[in-house]
Amino acid sequence: MGGGEIIIAIKRGCVYNLFMKKMSLAQIKANSKGKITEILGGANLQSKLMNMGVRSGKEFTKLSHIGLEGPVVIKVGRSILALGHSIASKIIVEPE
Amino acid sequence: MIKKIYLIGNPNVGKSVIFSRLTGVQVISSNYPGTTVEISKGYLQLDAGKVEVVDLPGTYSMESTSSAEEVAVSLLKEHPKNEIAVINILDSTNLERNLLLTLGLIEEGYPVIVCLNMCDEAGHRGVTIDIKKLESILHVPVVSTCAVTGIGVKSMIERIRETVPVSRGRLNREERWKEIGNIVEQVQRLEHRHHSLREMLEDASIQPFTGLIMACGVIYVSFKFVRFIGEAIINKVTDPVFFNLYQPLLEKMTFYWQEKGFWFHLLIGDLINGKIDFKQSLGVLTTAPYIEFGMVLPYVISFYFILSLLEDIGYLPRLAILLDNILHRLGLHGYAIIPVLLGFGCNVPGILSTRVLESKRERFIASTIISIGVPCVPLQAMIFGLLGAFGGYYVGGVYLVLFCLIIILGVILNRAMPGYSPEFLLEIPSYRFPPLLMLGRKLFFRVKGFLIEAVPIVLIGVLFINILLYFKLFDIITNIFAPLIKGVFGLPKEAIVALVIGFLRKDVAVGMLMPLSLSAKQLFIAATLLAISFPCVATFIVLWKELGLKDLIKSALIMITVSVIMGGLLNFVILR
Repeated sequence: MGGGEIIIAIKRGCVYNLFMKKMSLAQIKANSKGKITEILGGANLQSKLMNMGVRSGKEFTKLSHIGLEGPVVIKVGRSILALGHSIASKIIVEPE
Repeated sequence: MIKKIYLIGNPNVGKSVIFSRLTGVQVISSNYPGTTVEISKGYLQLDAGKVEVVDLPGTYSMESTSSAEEVAVSLLKEHPKNEIAVINILDSTNLERNLLLTLGLIEEGYPVIVCLNMCDEAGHRGVTIDIKKLESILHVPVVSTCAVTGIGVKSMIERIRETVPVSRGRLNREERWKEIGNIVEQVQRLEHRHHSLREMLEDASIQPFTGLIMACGVIYVSFKFVRFIGEAIINKVTDPVFFNLYQPLLEKMTFYWQEKGFWFHLLIGDLINGKIDFKQSLGVLTTAPYIEFGMVLPYVISFYFILSLLEDIGYLPRLAILLDNILHRLGLHGYAIIPVLLGFGCNVPGILSTRVLESKRERFIASTIISIGVPCVPLQAMIFGLLGAFGGYYVGGVYLVLFCLIIILGVILNRAMPGYSPEFLLEIPSYRFPPLLMLGRKLFFRVKGFLIEAVPIVLIGVLFINILLYFKLFDIITNIFAPLIKGVFGLPKEAIVALVIGFLRKDVAVGMLMPLSLSAKQLFIAATLLAISFPCVATFIVLWKELGLKDLIKSALIMITVSVIMGGLLNFVILR
């Protein structure tokens, strides 16, 4: 059972530890708050996100998630951002 | 001595509005990031001389992470720093994120003036910024403006001369964010505001369920309004002018025209039952102006009015979120909906705005889809005018065929082309109610653009067609293509003339079908074919410029293949 869960998790682009409280922005429920802990992915994506105000340590509210691997909408600081599903799964967060 | 002024800032902070205020040059601005795809230049009267002002594409920081940002940063480096002034425009409601660019600019030694724009909006949202304090921290002039109403722009112009490079230690990324945090804490005061109706609507429009309902509602209502306004203009303004004023005038003229020869054929065309028929006479003075002003222009006005309204309110990025899923399957992402919607007005600005998309692959797919599956307003107006007479069923059919075609073609292109679909990353603006004056100006600007582009081609086109018809030169083409047109598409062989003219202008081409007295089904096939076959020459040139020759040929081959297959298929399915 446990092995199966981990494989599912890897398939979704989140190799992160399922047993800890950390999860990706794509996994956390809509309408919940949390804190960004880490951003995976290339340097270009990291600096792009950082320039838009998404960086580790920032608190956010996940406003919405369109189903079927659709985009995730979050509020960070005073801006509202829409992120594609695979970008969202590269952002590791800690739920509140 | 300032020789050049640059406007720089994050996307969607109102740079283009400030630019218009400074230079008087009208550029289109919208409530979504990335409107400025072409660099606009204008002049500002400063001291004794004129200074060039350049509106740079939106950028988040000095380290360029996208092609638009690269352009912005490289343009800044064109002139020595002591000969330029940089107006850094900020969104007052989002000081923290905007200050990153400001610090970057100051650190690199640019002479900067900071312009806190959207001060009215900040007031509504309970944000107050201590300008004097910000000035003393940054050591550069800081002004507060509201570009939409023009407040503060004058005092900003007066202070442009004060810009000087200031020395400021370079910080690394972390230090810079910390510094920004400190600055914001010192100068910004937030008042808690309760959720307003606007915020509730903003939120509802991005939720999966309520968002979808809202999207359907918005699209339905927009469509109804475009038809309603268009028809109202036709019934109340253009038709009365044409039938009660213009037609009697022309008929008086023809009454005295004894010899009905070459010139009569050119200018008036054929008389139908001894009378001028605007839809069938095909003269430069009869059908040409009627198509452009009596059938197309009213819908151009109503379409651009509704589109501009949706743009300026800020609804389109929200639609992009909801459609991201579908568009992802086509190798695009949600933001591609903006070029597609603009393409419904005219394919030319639609294809130009594919520059908001990042990769060449995306731009190719989007441009090809737009030129094949997105009918422009002139074409749609004519389809409604002609096919609508047989019932909405047929008109709906054209849209359905085009929609399916977009989906199928997109899926195939996405599978067949190397590369991957890039990811969606977009800042969502809040709703703003656009000032009517600005909306009116934008509408005027767009309608004027349409008239300048369309009217000469239509007049010359009809003249040209009439000369060819008079000397029966079309007969050659007609006979060559007869097997294809008759055998495969099930249309009378004269319809080839319309398809050829479609390359010139789509609305005239549909006009060419009018005298052929086609059956409803034939008209349906011809209209669909006109929509998907070759785009008009203006679109073609833009495609060439944007894609390059090689991709243009690729795209054109796809268009020809698709139209032959679709024409045959439709003929086979509905006529036989």
